[in-house]
Amino acid sequence: MYSVNLENSAAILQFGCKNCLCPKESKSFRLLYLVALALCLSTAMGLPVQANAAAPTFTVGWSVYAGWNPYFYMAKSGILKRWADKYGIVIKVQRFDYAASLDAFVGKNIDACTMTNMEALDMPAAAGVDSTALIVGDYSNGNDAVLARDNLTLAQLPGKRIMLVQKTVSEYLLERAMDLNGLSAQIPQLRLMNTSDSDLVGAFLGNQGNQVAVTWKPLVSQILAQGGNVKPLFDSSRIPGEILDLLVVRTDVLKRADGSGERFAKAITGAWYETVTQLASGSAPAISGSAAASGDSVASYKEQLRTTFLFSTPKSAVQFSESPTIKQKMDLVRFFCFRHQLLGQNIASVDDVAIRYPDGSVQGKGDRVRLRIDSTYMRMAEQGRL
Amino acid sequence: MSAIPVVGHIADIQGRPRMLWTQSLSWVLFLIGIFAYTQFSIVRHKENPEDRVIPSGAQLWQGIKASVLEPAEEDDALDPGASTYQRVTHSMLWKDTVSSSRRFFIAIALLIPAILIGLHMAVFPYAEAFFLRFVLFFDKIVALSLLPVLFIVFGIDELSKIMLMVIGVGPTLMLDTYNIAKSVPREQVVKAFTLKSTNFDVAYRVILKQIMPQVINSVRLNLKPLALFLFAGEMIASTDGLAYRIAIMRRHMGMDIIIPYLLWVAVLLFGMDALLRVANRRLHPWF
Repeated sequence: MYSVNLENSAAILQFGCKNCLCPKESKSFRLLYLVALALCLSTAMGLPVQANAAAPTFTVGWSVYAGWNPYFYMAKSGILKRWADKYGIVIKVQRFDYAASLDAFVGKNIDACTMTNMEALDMPAAAGVDSTALIVGDYSNGNDAVLARDNLTLAQLPGKRIMLVQKTVSEYLLERAMDLNGLSAQIPQLRLMNTSDSDLVGAFLGNQGNQVAVTWKPLVSQILAQGGNVKPLFDSSRIPGEILDLLVVRTDVLKRADGSGERFAKAITGAWYETVTQLASGSAPAISGSAAASGDSVASYKEQLRTTFLFSTPKSAVQFSESPTIKQKMDLVRFFCFRHQLLGQNIASVDDVAIRYPDGSVQGKGDRVRLRIDSTYMRMAEQGRL
Repeated sequence: MSAIPVVGHIADIQGRPRMLWTQSLSWVLFLIGIFAYTQFSIVRHKENPEDRVIPSGAQLWQGIKASVLEPAEEDDALDPGASTYQRVTHSMLWKDTVSSSRRFFIAIALLIPAILIGLHMAVFPYAEAFFLRFVLFFDKIVALSLLPVLFIVFGIDELSKIMLMVIGVGPTLMLDTYNIAKSVPREQVVKAFTLKSTNFDVAYRVILKQIMPQVINSVRLNLKPLALFLFAGEMIASTDGLAYRIAIMRRHMGMDIIIPYLLWVAVLLFGMDALLRVANRRLHPWF
């Protein structure tokens, strides 16, 4: 129906336009032109409505990170389209800068987004956007590191200037490093300098006076490769499972009355595990496709993957997200967020932003659940029911 | 002549609106802005009472109170018995304003030589030959792209931020001063020399003196680029300052702090501009 209409109106439009230039016949053709315009407009306005009715569309935002790059490959290789078609929906995948992706998610411009457990708590959840973690993809197992020159030790850090992106997992990692080494009392004496990730490498390497930096890969690798006397003091492999990388969807999208949200969850989970299985088996196109997502070389991407603990089977992801361990880890993270006022000025208690776990238990106030860890779909993938 | 404007009068070049009309019309856009904001905020809060993207009046008020009366999160808490004065002077906003203003004023002070170079370029042919081509070229370099170089040369502390402002705005100011000074009629220079002026007299007492009001206006126009460069520098690497706070708050959607900060920066810039304007009028009533 539509193609016919469009062709018709386009033909009339062309005809009308050509003749508009000719003054004698202009009146009748102007009328035709108007009709054509009206036709065009009505089809243009009708189209999206029709498309929507046919297949609900979902947008997933992702940003560059070893554990999220596979989303790029997943969309490009056609894996995602196959799964979306199976469930009769359309899934769009869009790349963002990390901060911008979170803004878009909180602003409800996108339906799902990749983020760490910490940002899931302090961005959408703390802003009252009820969100659900569908996929627990991986945890940082050395991707984040505290780097220092001149053989400094953690005990010598107070008083030294520390370059990092403040209020992110970098600051969390630094505090955990101090904690685990019995230096908790020294944390207030740390001199933090908020440094944008885009300039951190250049600024740190450019001046020998900058002795300490906390950052993530690939920046860590760049600094280690170029700074001769720089050594990692502490990295996230010492706090396994605390910096989680999730796929988070808005709960109201997931629970849509027409059931399309659940179909979306099934499709994306199915596509994810198909992709990750390829990746874990070392399939060359999967690895080079994911490396291409961030413009990394295959070697560099493989190096990043080594320090990323990928839950490569749904079973391992389910096991982790249903274990008591995740609760302990999340507890550390939520207290960190609360201490640093990341939950908002007017959140009086850490329990005001509550987390619900797959077994139904809630960390915080039961009526203020904002973040849900949901293993339903990962479990379906495990049982092959997708 | 009716008191109510007839539709025809509104589009009339010769129209003379009454004081009441000019006053009230000038506030209309403000009101629309506030109204639109409130409307958006209400809609979003209806959907999600905890929305932080467009904070409500109450949230904003709390944000303002927190930033004006509470110390920054990285500082020690005040003892509860502190007076309001102490609270304000130890507050987050105060601390950030002081450190940002310091950078701002140092940069402005460093721009005075830029004005003098512009003057010399216009007055002394050898200075013109020496500077002009380079300044014209340097002016076109996007200062922000130099930032990595600035970090290496000037370190990551205050100096690199101040130099970013100076390098960003300096050449523009030089060229503007140069153009203004060039437009002083040549006859005046000749006349001054016939009246036994020295080179110094002509440059500083004839030309600089009469271009001063225009140069001050040029500085006024450059306040905003200055603030932009300051913000860029502070957002990229710093430990305090107005833009530092905005960058930090952005990490967790602290719009209830960011919006008061933005308004505060606008007020500060407006105040500075007004100060220069009044000073200009006082100092150069003939202009």
